[in-house]
Amino acid sequence: MTGMDGRLDFEIEDELIKVPEVNKKRKKVIGLDELLTDFYKEQSERVEKEAKRKKERKKKSYEYDDFDRKEAALTRLVEKCHDQMKTLGDDEEFSVWGMQLFGSQKEFPPLHFPELDSCNLLRSFMDNKLNCMVELTADKGDIFLEGLLTNGWLSKLVFLCGHIEKSVSIWVFNTMLYSSKEELQTSACNLWRVILSSRKEADQFAVKIDWFPEYMHLRRALKIYGFLFNFSPTSAPMKIDSSCGGPPQNIRAWIKFVTACCRIRSKISIFSAVEAEEIAQVIICLFLDRLFEGLLVLLDDCMQAVISYFTDQEWSSSCENIAKYIACRVSKDFNCIQAAECISKVNSRSKQLRSEVAYQSLLLCFDGVTNGEEILRSVIAINVKDKKCDLFKMYIYLILTENWLLSDDSTLEEKPVICEMFRLYLKNCSCLISGADMRSFASKIRHRAAYLMQFSFHK
Amino acid sequence: MKNPSSSGGKSYREGFEANLLAILDACEAKETQDTHDDRLAFLDAVRTASVVPEHGTRPTYKIFEAVFHILRLGKSLELIMASYQLLIELEKRFPRVYLPSEDKFKSSSVTPSELVVVKEAWTPFIFSMEGNVSTVGEAADRQPGELLDSSSFHLLIEELAEMLTEANFQATGVKNMLLLQYLVYVLEGDFLPRNATMKWNVQRESLLNMLLGSRKINYKNLMKDCLHFICQLSQLHVQLNTRLELKDSSETGTSLSNCHTALLIALLEVGTNTCVSMEKFLAMAMELDMSRKKADNEGYTTRADGVRTPLVEIILDELTYSVDTVPLFLQVFNDPKWKLETVVQYLWKYIAKPVRTRRSNSSTHDATFSGALKCFSNNTSTKSIIKKIGPDTVQLLLAHGFQAQLSEGYREDNTAGQAQGKAGNLVDLCKDVITAFDSMRSTHEHMEILSIGKEALFTAATIISVENSSD
Repeated sequence: MTGMDGRLDFEIEDELIKVPEVNKKRKKVIGLDELLTDFYKEQSERVEKEAKRKKERKKKSYEYDDFDRKEAALTRLVEKCHDQMKTLGDDEEFSVWGMQLFGSQKEFPPLHFPELDSCNLLRSFMDNKLNCMVELTADKGDIFLEGLLTNGWLSKLVFLCGHIEKSVSIWVFNTMLYSSKEELQTSACNLWRVILSSRKEADQFAVKIDWFPEYMHLRRALKIYGFLFNFSPTSAPMKIDSSCGGPPQNIRAWIKFVTACCRIRSKISIFSAVEAEEIAQVIICLFLDRLFEGLLVLLDDCMQAVISYFTDQEWSSSCENIAKYIACRVSKDFNCIQAAECISKVNSRSKQLRSEVAYQSLLLCFDGVTNGEEILRSVIAINVKDKKCDLFKMYIYLILTENWLLSDDSTLEEKPVICEMFRLYLKNCSCLISGADMRSFASKIRHRAAYLMQFSFHK
Repeated sequence: MKNPSSSGGKSYREGFEANLLAILDACEAKETQDTHDDRLAFLDAVRTASVVPEHGTRPTYKIFEAVFHILRLGKSLELIMASYQLLIELEKRFPRVYLPSEDKFKSSSVTPSELVVVKEAWTPFIFSMEGNVSTVGEAADRQPGELLDSSSFHLLIEELAEMLTEANFQATGVKNMLLLQYLVYVLEGDFLPRNATMKWNVQRESLLNMLLGSRKINYKNLMKDCLHFICQLSQLHVQLNTRLELKDSSETGTSLSNCHTALLIALLEVGTNTCVSMEKFLAMAMELDMSRKKADNEGYTTRADGVRTPLVEIILDELTYSVDTVPLFLQVFNDPKWKLETVVQYLWKYIAKPVRTRRSNSSTHDATFSGALKCFSNNTSTKSIIKKIGPDTVQLLLAHGFQAQLSEGYREDNTAGQAQGKAGNLVDLCKDVITAFDSMRSTHEHMEILSIGKEALFTAATIISVENSSD
């Protein structure tokens, strides 16, 4: 029973140290790097000695019988757990991402229905003898057109005629962005998407399209929805309350439409490279607003579409521009992690962008740092054992570094120096923080670093 | 059938699995921010290991189950969405059934030997049907509550319908809708390649057939519930809007008062997609019916296959009983092939079949949409049809049938060579639609033409004038 006190101090190490000796199979599973093992052995021996000394002191001073000792140990354990729970609870205020990116909506522009004179589709029918049944009149043109759109006739007509005239396409576009009726938004968006994705030959639409929207139209809509183009890291943090503010539902159609536009560059370039950069930035921002949590799939699609929109020549500079913009705007807490991690690693470009966003954020974390080696030198120099060390920041650095160096397999292969420094950094994080360290984020850093060691250097 | 053995050393896979699952360790006890983060980290690690690399490994059963577990238990939108997305990605990346090198052989008929079935692949379904011993064996060491059988699938539909009826919208509703979408996605991935083989012994082993054929459920009730659910779901936005307006006008708490914007945005988006999934589910069930009928005619079915009422018939019965459902169903169910089939069968149920035609033309009985339209050319039959079906429903059927026929016709239009003949048919079709409306109007002078009828007439007239001017 006397071993109880000692065990409590390094309960977690215990398991880890034993692994390589007890079971070779398990070493593969949770065993750490050999370097680590040596270090732990050394450390554990020291701790054990200390514990023994303590025990002996205790033996002399207290004359508890066995039962009392058990109870005391148990009480201490409970108290410790309680404290730990408390600190975990404290973490919560830091450990949530979320930014408020939408202010109040501006007034929607009125939906101009195409004048009958300018709309061939409706005008040509007016003289038809069938109009005695249809009863289409000049003042009811708008309602009739809405019916054609929501009931699917308009898309049939567009494809059978092989043509969509300017007045109709503008009306459908505006309906998509500014109608408050869900069915109209959805049908309008679907119609545009079907038209844009249609193809006759590789570089041709199946339909003659008289009018294409430009980026300024889309940007204007976003502004009207209340999107804060000029937000900064000091913006108030997002609070989820019961008020039904935020963007209008049309934002879903906006995202889908932009996605469709990005996918057709072989037929038409709707956006310039700079405009596409802004779209990518907007999409990353939307990922940061918790209001969009339910649109993960849509945003992900859009992100991938924008990334693949750029030509190879444009990409490397655009990638950097996007990352720089995001790094400047997003606060260095869980938000900047979310900003990097929202870009899912699908292809080399998305991996590159994710890595770049993390890299640019790290550059801004340290004064006067200009390259990767300096970043790593700065993080290695942080003394995690120091009581004043801000472990929350340390955790952010660790995750950012992970995203910077591990998003793309090639990053480390090309840079042996960085690779060695990274290994040292991970070793610092996993070894210098003891398992008994009860500071917030201590165990998180330790576990993450150990996990990364295992996965990135033991493939 | 080929059955590729799992790749990768066993010990490596075990270690890999343990490492991933270690992230989740101690997750189960309490719901804190930490467990939430751990689950997200776990999902990300699975993605990094399986989806991201070019030659990723198929996750083990335990990992699949852990991901599925997160979706089923998920209370936060973030976790629900992330686990759903990962499951779909895994499904795309590691299909259970597929046709190898689809690009190489573009032949239309596929022999069953070419179909690859990964038998050891995990599925969210568990069917303990007779004649399916392997599944039963595996079932023993699975947690029963997690995986779905036919009755839990039915229960899911019922729960969702209840949510709509009671207008009680929570994150659980989003979760259940995503779960349903995922299940339909799994059914689809399994059914489509199997159905393409045109061999009943392959088709009958599809998850869909096992789901629908299970004795644990009442098949007819399930299908009726699906029908009503999809109709209800198509009105979700109306429901949410009225709730919102209610909330705006009166301060008294409605069930939406605690529904914040994020949930509202998610509900509308997920609701729309769930409608599409349900539509696919119904269309697949109809395809299965057709394959089954064909197999039946050719004598490939056995007693074990049992008897099922074709879904189209069940839907027709339901539509006849509750006429209010007709416009909703026709609006939401947009699969052109099966929509057309439903409309045509509905019409022909009430059209007196001309005996003379059948005798003179015994080989083909013209039970098509055009055939139905022709019956409106004389006043007596028009009168009798309107009397039986009702003036509004007739218009709905004709308009939707016309639209579905346009979609079906347009598809065929794309095949080269037939363009000339098709254009002729297109104009004829439009003319027949106009004649039918004309005839209804002349027999029922006070008949009000519905807006969808007007739109159909407008479309028909416009197509005729465009076709004429281009000639």
